[in-house]
This record gives sequence, C-alpha cells and structure tokens, in this order.
Amino acid sequence: MGRFLLYRLLRTIPATWAIVSIVFLLSRTLPTDDLLGQALIDKSVGSRSITAAEREATLLRVQQRLGLAGPVFYFSRIHSTAGTVWQWNGTDNQYHRWLSNAVKGDLGQSYRSGQPVTAVLGEALWFTLPLTTSAALLATLLSVILALWLVCGGPAFLLSILYGIDALPLFVVALGLMLLLANPDIIPLFPAYGMGQQTTENTPWNVQISSYLYYSALPLASLILVKLPSLVVQLHDALRHELGANYANTARAKGLSAYQVATRHALRNAMLPIIVLLTDLLPALVAGAVVVEVIFALPGMGRLLADAAAAHDFPVLVGGVLLVAMMRLLGLVVADMLYFLTDPRIRLQA
Amino acid sequence: MRLHKKGSTLQMIAIGWLLLVASVGLLAPWLPLPFPPDSVDLNNIAQSPFLPPSDVKPSRHWLGTDGYGRDVLTALVYGARTALLVSLPAAFAATVLGTFLGSTAGFWGNSGFHIPIVYWLITSLLFLGAVGLASDFPPLWWTLLLGLVAVTVISKPLMRIPMLRLSWPLPIDRLVLGAASLLASVPRLVLILALAAVQDSSLIGLFLLLTFTYWPEPAHLVRAELLRVRALPYIESARAIGLSGGQILWRHALPNAWRTVRTAFPLSLSDLIGLETTLSFLGVGLPSGMPSWGRTLAAARLDPTAWWLIIFPALALAGTTLALRQLTANRITA
Repeated sequence: MGRFLLYRLLRTIPATWAIVSIVFLLSRTLPTDDLLGQALIDKSVGSRSITAAEREATLLRVQQRLGLAGPVFYFSRIHSTAGTVWQWNGTDNQYHRWLSNAVKGDLGQSYRSGQPVTAVLGEALWFTLPLTTSAALLATLLSVILALWLVCGGPAFLLSILYGIDALPLFVVALGLMLLLANPDIIPLFPAYGMGQQTTENTPWNVQISSYLYYSALPLASLILVKLPSLVVQLHDALRHELGANYANTARAKGLSAYQVATRHALRNAMLPIIVLLTDLLPALVAGAVVVEVIFALPGMGRLLADAAAAHDFPVLVGGVLLVAMMRLLGLVVADMLYFLTDPRIRLQA
Repeated sequence: MRLHKKGSTLQMIAIGWLLLVASVGLLAPWLPLPFPPDSVDLNNIAQSPFLPPSDVKPSRHWLGTDGYGRDVLTALVYGARTALLVSLPAAFAATVLGTFLGSTAGFWGNSGFHIPIVYWLITSLLFLGAVGLASDFPPLWWTLLLGLVAVTVISKPLMRIPMLRLSWPLPIDRLVLGAASLLASVPRLVLILALAAVQDSSLIGLFLLLTFTYWPEPAHLVRAELLRVRALPYIESARAIGLSGGQILWRHALPNAWRTVRTAFPLSLSDLIGLETTLSFLGVGLPSGMPSWGRTLAAARLDPTAWWLIIFPALALAGTTLALRQLTANRITA
C-alpha cells in the first residue's frame, strides 16, 4: 500500500507544484506600480513631501519587504540599445526565494494586512475545515441512506427533485435557502449571515457547539444539497446494477429482505465507483466554500480567496491555491486508502 | 410509445425555451424594452414585480427592480445575451480544442505519432530562433512562417540521408493528460478565481479563461472513445490500404467520436453558464456594467427580502440548464 500511495503522490505532486508556480509567475508579471504607489502614499502621509532620492529609497524598501525586489525568474530578457539580450539571473530571483521559503513553510506576508500568509490561512482554515469535512461526511452518509431508500422502494419523485437541485449552481441554492429559511417575511429560522458574537473562553462547550451549529446550518445545508444529487444518482445506478447480478439473486433466494441484500451484499461493490467521486469531494467543497462563505459572510478560506482575488493580494492568493491543491492531494490519498479497504482485489495488485 | 411521446414533448419544450433564450439574447438591443440596460431608475428602488405603473411614468417594471433601481426584466434579457456572447463561444472553443487534443491523444497514444529527426531538429532550431530574435520584431514572425514553409519543402530531399530518416515518437497522450492533470490539481472555480485576479476583466479574457480551463472535460471523453475506436478492425484495414494516420483519424475515426462530442456539448454549455454566473455573482471576470444573471442574483444579497431578485434569474438559469440536459438525455436514449 505504501508503494502504491507513493507512486500516486509522485505523479500528482509535480502537477501541483507546476500550477502553483504558474499562478505565482502570472501574478508577478502584473505591473505592481499602483501597489507600490499605495504603499508610498501610506508612508508619506502627514510628513513633508519627499525628495526623489528618498522616494527611490522608500520604494526599494517596500519592494524588499514585499519580496518584489530583483528579477522575477531565473532568466529574463533585457532591452537595451544593443537589442534584446537574455540574461541569466542565478538563484537571486523572486521565484527562487518564494519557493525556498514556501518549502520552509513561509509564504510571505499579505499585501493588505502585512500579516504572515500562513497565519492568515491557518485562521481561515480553522473555520473552513470543520465546515467542509462535516459537509463531505454528511453528504456521503446521506447519499448512502437515500440511495438505499430509493433501491428499497423509496418514492421516485425524490430523484426528480435531486435532478432539479442539480440544475442550479451552488450560489443559487444557497440564496434560495437563505430566502426561504432566513427571511423575516417567510420563516426566520436561521441567521442570514455571520457567526454571531464571539463566544468567550468560559462559555460551556455545549452552548458553543449549538451556537456553531445554529450559525453554520444553512452553509452546511447548501454545500450538502449541491453535492448530494451526483452522489445519490451514481450510487443508485451502481446499486441497481449490482442488485441485478447473480449473487444478489442468490441472496434473495436464500430469503434475505431487499434491505439486507442491498446493505450486506450490494453496497460494498456499489461503493467502488463512488470513491472516485469522493476524491474530488473535499477540494470541490473548498471551491464551494468560496461561494457559500461569500453569501453567508463567514470568515473562512473561501472568502479569503475571493477577497484576495478581488484586492490583488497575491501572496494570500498563491498560498490559498497551494493549500487547496494540497487538500486535493489529501483527498487522493484518502480515496486510495478507501479503495484498499473496500476492494481486496486492489490489495492483491499493489 | 407513451414514454416516447412524453420524451418528445419535453424535447419540444426544451428546444422552445432554448430558442426563446437565444432569440431574446440576440435581439436584445432591438426589443421594445422600456429601460436601457444598466440604467438606474431612482424613483423605483427595490420595487416588487407586477405592480401597476405609477402615474408619473407610463412604463412599468414588469419584474420589479433591484436595490439600485435597475429593471430586472432588462437585466435578464441582457444576461441571456451575455450567456450567448461568453458561455456559448467558450463551450464551442473548449469542445473543439478538447476534441482535437483528446482525439490525437487517444488515436496516436504515446508511441503512435512519429516525427522524423529532421523535423525535430528544424522545430527546435526555429523555436530557439523565435525566442531569441523575433519577440520584439513582429515582421520576423512572418519570415519565420515563410521559413517554416520553405523548410517543409526542403525536408523532403533531406530525408534521403538515412540518418535523418530515423524518427522519434512524440508522446502526445502523456502531454495531453499531463496538461489536463495540471489543470485538475486545483478546483476549477479556485483556479479561475486566481487567474481572473491576475488579468484585467474583459470579455475576451473570460472567454479564454473558460476555454483553457474547461477543455479537459471533452478531451477525456473523446480520448476514451478513440481508444475504443482505434482497436476496431476497420481502422486496421484503413491502415492496410495505406492511408496516413491523419487521414484515418479525420475521415474514419473521428466521425465515430462525433456522437460523444454532440452529446457532451450541451452539458459543457450548461456547466459553463453555471460557472460564468457564479463568477459574475462573485464579481470576477466580466467587466463591470455588463449584465449577467449572476449579477442580478448578487443584487439580492443586499436585500434578502426581495424574492423577485432570486426567483426570476434562478428560473432562467434552471430552465436553461434543464433544457440543455434534456437535449442530452434524449440523445442518450434515442
């Protein structure tokens, strides 16, 4: 199993590294003049107007602080009177510095707040990770229950409803839930946004948890609702296929009920194709968190990414992309482990 | 028989709705809409729909207005136009690009496409030359192009030299799959969000962004189809009568994948419409002032009690998505 996992990681890590590098390099090709100008204005407010030399020095210091000094990549093209020349910059470039710092766990500091990116990301992750993992677990659990129910004679209109939900993008579902359940005109059941007032240290844990559940019920519900249709439809199809197989007939012939046949015999086999979907569930939910957290004004990863994108706060943006990509790697590993647990044949192959 | 009839009725409804959306979007500037797009009517802010016209103004807001007094009906009509202008071309381009890359990857695999050493040498020389010289003299691109044409003519006699006749395979499959997994390593929405932040928002930029992040979907489908087709006996007979690889792919193998492409296209389109509205909702991608269904929905966040800002765009969106899926569903069962 270890070798199998290692092989998978070796295949996927380069792609992750490449995409993050591309995003980083693209973000550094943008002109940073307005950004630096902003920083300069912040410096010179209240003081006398600065001379050209002072301006130059401040500019250099700001560039140094934000990691924008020096060439962007290992080589660059230089325009001069003699024409263009390709120049080798050595390891003293922005990309090399960023990469070696990133390997050490330092992703730079936010352009906007000046805080270290890792701290900002960690704070956001502390909120998003419980949301997305519980959404993933609940969606999986609910899809198994619903598919079993459908197979054992549940109402067929359930599938039509799921198809209907599937036709809507996440933000529409979330807005719809907000309109229905957080609306003072209809049913003011849940809060429309925010996380409530900050709970203090000495609040009892059950109050903390119930407050958390109260405020994250709608975001959680919209994330689950959007992921549910594809999972249920696939699992239902797989279950029906498995229940038509001979071993299911045998199980029925020996007198098991439809439910027992489905849970004890068919489910394990039907889960196999679903695991592929589960691989993408966690990263997809992080992407979904972008929308949900913006709508419900929650302080998580998704809103951080959306805000950073809108405000051109590239260190945070690149760090966030890196984190999401790593989460996908985690999803791959988990899916591979699930494969191992579900299907003994794969255990034999590896 | 009954089922078939039901299917065809649904099909008619789906096609009717799509035609309606398309014609409304195309004819938007010539429709008798009482309010121009993105215009603000400060007398009627957040007005509910179906209200009788006020005495001051004879024209009425049929579907209400948003918190800035913009007419919802106008926004919906022009939003359909945006979907036509961005999502449709992007879906088309992504399908063409994906079909091209997926079919070459599936048909030739890693070892099927041999390029003689002559071409490898010439291409790398040309590439180096292009990088070194031509980047600041645009006319040089044309000389390079001419050079390429000239070289293809010369390479025939060069092939007489035995050493240069050897060929190396181009691992198309590995390249295409590698590029696809590169794009798949981050969820599409996050990737587009990050890339959209890097460039200025424009129609062309959004079109390119959607195309270059969406092509792996059709490419995977077409590749799988061609992996199946290329093992069929008639491809072997086509090889046996001496057709070139390109001819077999274009005239004999690709028509078999056509059905897959045709089925996948409406799904791609509905995916991309969903993606575009999500991006507009987040305020990314489209230049400001460009109406979109997502923008109208975003206006609902300012005023959660304004149900008409959610219901009407959501209905338009869901109708379009369901209609596109219905097209596909009938293709599959037919």
